[in-house]
Amino acid sequence: MTAVEALTSAPLVEIARSLRRRKVSPLELVDAYTQRIERASGLHAFITPPGERARQEARQAERRLSRGEAGALLGVPIAVKDLFATRAIRTTAGSRILRDWVPSHDAAAVARLREAGAIIFGKTNLHEFAYGVSTANPWWGVARNPHDPTRSPGGSSGGSAIAVVAGLCAGALGSDTGGSIRVPAALCGCVGLKPTFGAIPLEGTIPLGWSLDHAGPLARTVGDAALLLNVLTGFDPGRQAGRASTRGVRVGVLKGSIVQKVQPRVSQRVDAAARALRRQGLRVREVTIPEMEWTVATQLVTLRAEASAVHSRWIRTRPRAYGADVRIRLQLGALVAGADYVLAQRMRGRLRAAIGRVFQDVDVLLLPTTPITAPVVGERSVRWRSGEEPVDGALVRLTAPFNLTGLPALSVPFGSAAGLPVGVQVVGQWMDEARVLAVGRLIEGLAEEERPV
Amino acid sequence: MPVTEREQLAAAGRAAGLRLTAQEVADLLPAWKRYLGLVEELRAAMAPEDWDDGG
Repeated sequence: MTAVEALTSAPLVEIARSLRRRKVSPLELVDAYTQRIERASGLHAFITPPGERARQEARQAERRLSRGEAGALLGVPIAVKDLFATRAIRTTAGSRILRDWVPSHDAAAVARLREAGAIIFGKTNLHEFAYGVSTANPWWGVARNPHDPTRSPGGSSGGSAIAVVAGLCAGALGSDTGGSIRVPAALCGCVGLKPTFGAIPLEGTIPLGWSLDHAGPLARTVGDAALLLNVLTGFDPGRQAGRASTRGVRVGVLKGSIVQKVQPRVSQRVDAAARALRRQGLRVREVTIPEMEWTVATQLVTLRAEASAVHSRWIRTRPRAYGADVRIRLQLGALVAGADYVLAQRMRGRLRAAIGRVFQDVDVLLLPTTPITAPVVGERSVRWRSGEEPVDGALVRLTAPFNLTGLPALSVPFGSAAGLPVGVQVVGQWMDEARVLAVGRLIEGLAEEERPV
Repeated sequence: MPVTEREQLAAAGRAAGLRLTAQEVADLLPAWKRYLGLVEELRAAMAPEDWDDGG
């Protein structure tokens, strides 16, 4: 393996450093990634792979590097979920409806990546219009988990997670309305960060649910996610995280009925993470939030109504231009009564208050990102002792509460179960990304020594 | 006057401006019933609150 090939799967911060020190050129890197993308085409990670345009951007970055210019991501190839508008690059939202749309402007998040010197490295596959968690896209290919192609990568940012894990880019941009960054990060085995609501601007991002949508990074390490967060927010929570001490941090491990329906192999990993944090001097205790029981219903009503409003015209005039699952969700959303939406917002307020009370006694929450490891592609339901649960609902049951509340939430890989990655989720208070990242970095460091035998 | 659940769903679809075929109504029905059940659970979970007509 050549040095540049080895670098393709390295942490982003290492890639950026190698570029700055001129140990590798952006063009060499782009070409190495491009070859890998061609070899991994069966995973359906990309809707629009990086083409000649990425090579042009690499040449420009090379000239800037040779002039000694600075830029946190100068020459670093970043893949972008195809929900974010990209100037002069087709943006489909994973749909047939927008298959030929070529925006004239970049989304705000993409513009920030470019300002930092990133090479916009292709547009990644997603669940159609980001409305689902399988990335089984009827128009652009069924995305596959790089650990086991018979299994789902999760979604809706499935292509971004695949690209990060399979070494097809240095880092990626995703979006998260119910778990769409954290779920694929957990199922594929990378880091995924949903920051505080509003921390990253969403102008130029095709909405799904206005009150729930977040943008955020998917990355190979917590440090990479922190760097991308700095660029995307325009301030430096990631840098603060590097300086933050975790000693004495109060960790609430979520218990109660909401985490009863979790595969034992997943809950064992979360318990192992909690034990490891305690050994590091963090103050770990158990907490319960019974109101989380209403997450799925509250999220469902809220999102159905909001998504249906986004798609109000097309779902009435072009219903058959949507894939079957998304069409059904949007049609059902058109039937949500105003009173039901208000009911869901009242429950949302109750959930926010309940979590707020818990945060009076803890600094971060620790819980599984998903109750299950990657399901087989096409699997519809999960069987628990208490009955069956739809896979889609199960996958977002533990992530959606933090879309409803807007709190920052990070998924960090913490080993594997039966060969499939397990993600643990760290949740912090409003705008407290620095502490979330600091605890995440600690968990990441402990993952190796806690590897199951 | 719609009587069956299927007729109620078809009527709700028409009122919302959806052009649902009979097959689409059949496809939507199970998910619609689940949705109504979830809303009912949400409604039951919210404690009744005192209120008056004072605006």
